[in-house]
Amino acid sequence: MSQTQPYSPPKWPLRFLRFFVKKEYLEEIEGDMEEIFYEYAEYASVKKARRMYTWEIIKLFRPILIKNLEILQQLNQLDMFKNYFKVSMRGLVKNPLNSFINVFGLSMSIGFAVFSYAFFMWTISVDQFHVHKNEVHMVTAFAERDGTMQQHGKTPQPLGDMLKHDFAQINKVCRVEDKNVVMKYEDRVHHERVRFTDPEFLEMLTFPLKWGTIGSLKDLNSIILSEDMSIKYFGEENPIGQSMVMIFEKGRSKEFKITGVAKEFPKSRTITFNFLINFENLKSATPNYNFDDWTASINSTLIQIKPSDLESIKKGMEKYKTIQNKAVGEDWAISSFGFEPLATLHIASEDIREGISRSSKTNYTSIRFMVVISFFLLVLACFNYINIAIATAAKRLKEIGIRKSIGATRRKVIVQFLSENVVITFFALIVGLILGYTFFIPGFEFLWSVNLDFRVWDPSLWMFLAAILLFTSIASGIYPSIYISRFQVVNILKGSMKFGQRNPVTKFFLGFQLAMSCIFITCSVLFKMNNTYMTERPWGYNQAETLYANVPDGAAYEELNLLMAQQPDVISISGSQHHVGKSHVPTVLHFPERELEVDRLAVDPAYFETMGIDLIDGRTFNHAEGSDRQAVVVNEQLAKSMAWTSALGEQFRIDTIQYEVIGVVKDFHSYSFTKQIRPVIFTIADKKEYKYLSLKVKSGSEISVQESLQKNWAKLFPEIPFEGGHQEDVWGFYFQTLKIYDLVWKVLAFIAVSLATLGLYGLVKLNVEGRTKEFSIRKVLGAGVKSIAGCIINQYMILFIVAIAIGSPLGFFFGRWLIEGNAYHMPVTLYPAGIAVVIIIIVLLTTISTQVWKVLKTNPVNGLKSE
Amino acid sequence: MKKTKLGEFEELVLLTVATLQQDAYGVEIKRELEDRLKEKLSVGSIQSALKRMEEKGFLTSQFGQATQKRGGKRKRIYTATPYAHRVLADLKEIRAGLWNSMPKLAPVLKTI
Repeated sequence: MSQTQPYSPPKWPLRFLRFFVKKEYLEEIEGDMEEIFYEYAEYASVKKARRMYTWEIIKLFRPILIKNLEILQQLNQLDMFKNYFKVSMRGLVKNPLNSFINVFGLSMSIGFAVFSYAFFMWTISVDQFHVHKNEVHMVTAFAERDGTMQQHGKTPQPLGDMLKHDFAQINKVCRVEDKNVVMKYEDRVHHERVRFTDPEFLEMLTFPLKWGTIGSLKDLNSIILSEDMSIKYFGEENPIGQSMVMIFEKGRSKEFKITGVAKEFPKSRTITFNFLINFENLKSATPNYNFDDWTASINSTLIQIKPSDLESIKKGMEKYKTIQNKAVGEDWAISSFGFEPLATLHIASEDIREGISRSSKTNYTSIRFMVVISFFLLVLACFNYINIAIATAAKRLKEIGIRKSIGATRRKVIVQFLSENVVITFFALIVGLILGYTFFIPGFEFLWSVNLDFRVWDPSLWMFLAAILLFTSIASGIYPSIYISRFQVVNILKGSMKFGQRNPVTKFFLGFQLAMSCIFITCSVLFKMNNTYMTERPWGYNQAETLYANVPDGAAYEELNLLMAQQPDVISISGSQHHVGKSHVPTVLHFPERELEVDRLAVDPAYFETMGIDLIDGRTFNHAEGSDRQAVVVNEQLAKSMAWTSALGEQFRIDTIQYEVIGVVKDFHSYSFTKQIRPVIFTIADKKEYKYLSLKVKSGSEISVQESLQKNWAKLFPEIPFEGGHQEDVWGFYFQTLKIYDLVWKVLAFIAVSLATLGLYGLVKLNVEGRTKEFSIRKVLGAGVKSIAGCIINQYMILFIVAIAIGSPLGFFFGRWLIEGNAYHMPVTLYPAGIAVVIIIIVLLTTISTQVWKVLKTNPVNGLKSE
Repeated sequence: MKKTKLGEFEELVLLTVATLQQDAYGVEIKRELEDRLKEKLSVGSIQSALKRMEEKGFLTSQFGQATQKRGGKRKRIYTATPYAHRVLADLKEIRAGLWNSMPKLAPVLKTI
């Protein structure tokens, strides 16, 4: 073999080999590899030889051949680590303030991260406990309304039964319908919602029973309770075999025997039930119930199939579409049927109208926010740590110098600082876990009244915590340790080393923290102001002096009306079939050229006066019995949607009846402020159909009238619990939500500001301590408050200005973007951003002034004597 | 037996080393074993077996001469230690003992 080979082994695998193989083996293995390469190249191609060579080298990457990491080779490792631990513990105890800033900051952020984790796990585990989650599908219907495609969860009533007969691929079908009833057990009487369903319900969905058997639902007289309901009516006792009376409506009731109680539902779920009874009981609930009526729809139809069969079933659905559309006519014609698997139903539910499931989209949005926020909080806390570590290093220069001169390599110093960091982060982790467990999570659960089902002994939680520990200790420790370990021993020991005061990185970190706090404060102020604005926003009708009550029917309304009319404080009473904020029917209006879906409320002529809905054009209904049967009153929004200049006299058709507009009322909110006002029409209600009684009362007498309303109710209908109350409470939850958001932002702003303040405080304090001599000399020479304060503040002035100049607009735009996502919000001005700036400046100046004060108070003689 | 901790593949490599005597270096050991086993072996597996056995005291090694083919790098010649020879002999004896006792069982098995 000649010296001048035309080819040679590839370079980079060789470099890799040299990188990892132990030095003492390198020559031998390199030689072996080269020998094999040339040998192989001779009888195969060079290309193949190269490939083989590379592959062989990769296979050489084995523990026994890999270089030992130098730090692991040391014999006295354990002792060194013991020493590091001792030194860091001493450091923690010696500087309680710094330790507090570090541990507090980190643990706050870790606490929040733990909470985010719990929320994340809770959200992604929604509905995943169902064994057949990929097989069970909800049947939905797609329909075009007003030019947009809508997905409906309600399905035609006979569909379930027909599907079962027509498709062999469908294993199980269950129909679901819900009704409001009154449940009675001895003296316990409550309004409840019961679920009429097929016995397959409990086989398709995984809700194990605590007592009783699933199959018992086949019996028409059986009822299965949820655990909550069992406790509500029977306490902790086993109620199997007891009887409960279900009152469907006045004079129609049935006795059921309890044959099952479900175990406590998993915490994260979108479908549940209170009471389950056999679907066939709809016959008892409603007179002349017709199971073959295609015009009627039920709340849900679930099928269980193999996912692979889905396509073939979809094709077969055409037939039902034809039947359905023939039955309901063009108004409610559907375009196609769809199927949503249970596993992802909680996501799809966002777009499904009137489904039995609940959407978890807002949770997913929140997760994104929370991940970003917890990341930023962690970063903020890490910055604090970095700044303080660099600043305190000045005090540890001697230690580092000595360590280095007695043989510590730079790597050793880095390892020392990192291991100190792990100790601190570990403390913070424990405190953070406790904070999360005792403060963030219970706080959240309390605010939203949910249960996150957080368990400390969840292995994946510990993996998450380990990841946090690793991330945080490296992110916060790597820079200071590299920075500090860089210094030359000679310079350190000579004492000519000055650092930590003018480090641009430190300034950048501090500036970043301040900017972040600025963003959080601005958002918090914006939200607070928006909430105040929303609470004061008029609803478009009189909410304050209005009471309402649900009544079973027209006759009941008359009885209650008679009693209430005698009350001196009642200004007006009216009856209605629907009620603002409580109920309406979606209705399609037919105009010659287009169609429009609106909310329809059937009311009596006095309703407008009672509810304080202002008329702006035309008239309301005549009080004379039987008049205005084909007249409607519309809201402004409807006139706007139709682009009418004057709505009066406009006509349209509902089903087959022609209606004429006789009046226009001012827009009012029948949903919460998160939803746009929709077009509304009022028609005259049939007296027999009255379902609500509403009262306008004299201001200040709301409570007394409500009491007498309840008393009269109890007198008239002892069998039925009272339902109703103050109109203001109809959207009480909405305001509750606003308050929660407000609180959440306040907490976040508080954490961010306190992190930044602590960081700043620590830095200023160290800075001032380092300059004790300088200040003492200044004071001796006659420096006053102004010059000392100027001295300290000047250093940070530019930083403050830059941080505020960046943070404040960012916060403003971010907050505005968040607020403008709502349908109705306050006009966003620069005013809140201004308030936020003022707040942060006050906080900053207060922080610094504590140190200025300290300098002023100390005797300059002591300062000069030091060292 | 347990004290020796000699794996099956290690044993094969050790035997090859003992066979090759003065030629026992990485590539030659690999070549010899590949011929006998009739399968491809990776450098990594041979090397790790060698290093492990060196650690356990079955092998010693010293540098041999360099050849041009190796780009001027020296070979490392492995030698089996007396201890290794003893262990190999022990293993062979144990195996032989087992083989010897096998035919005695065979007729019994047939009658079942």
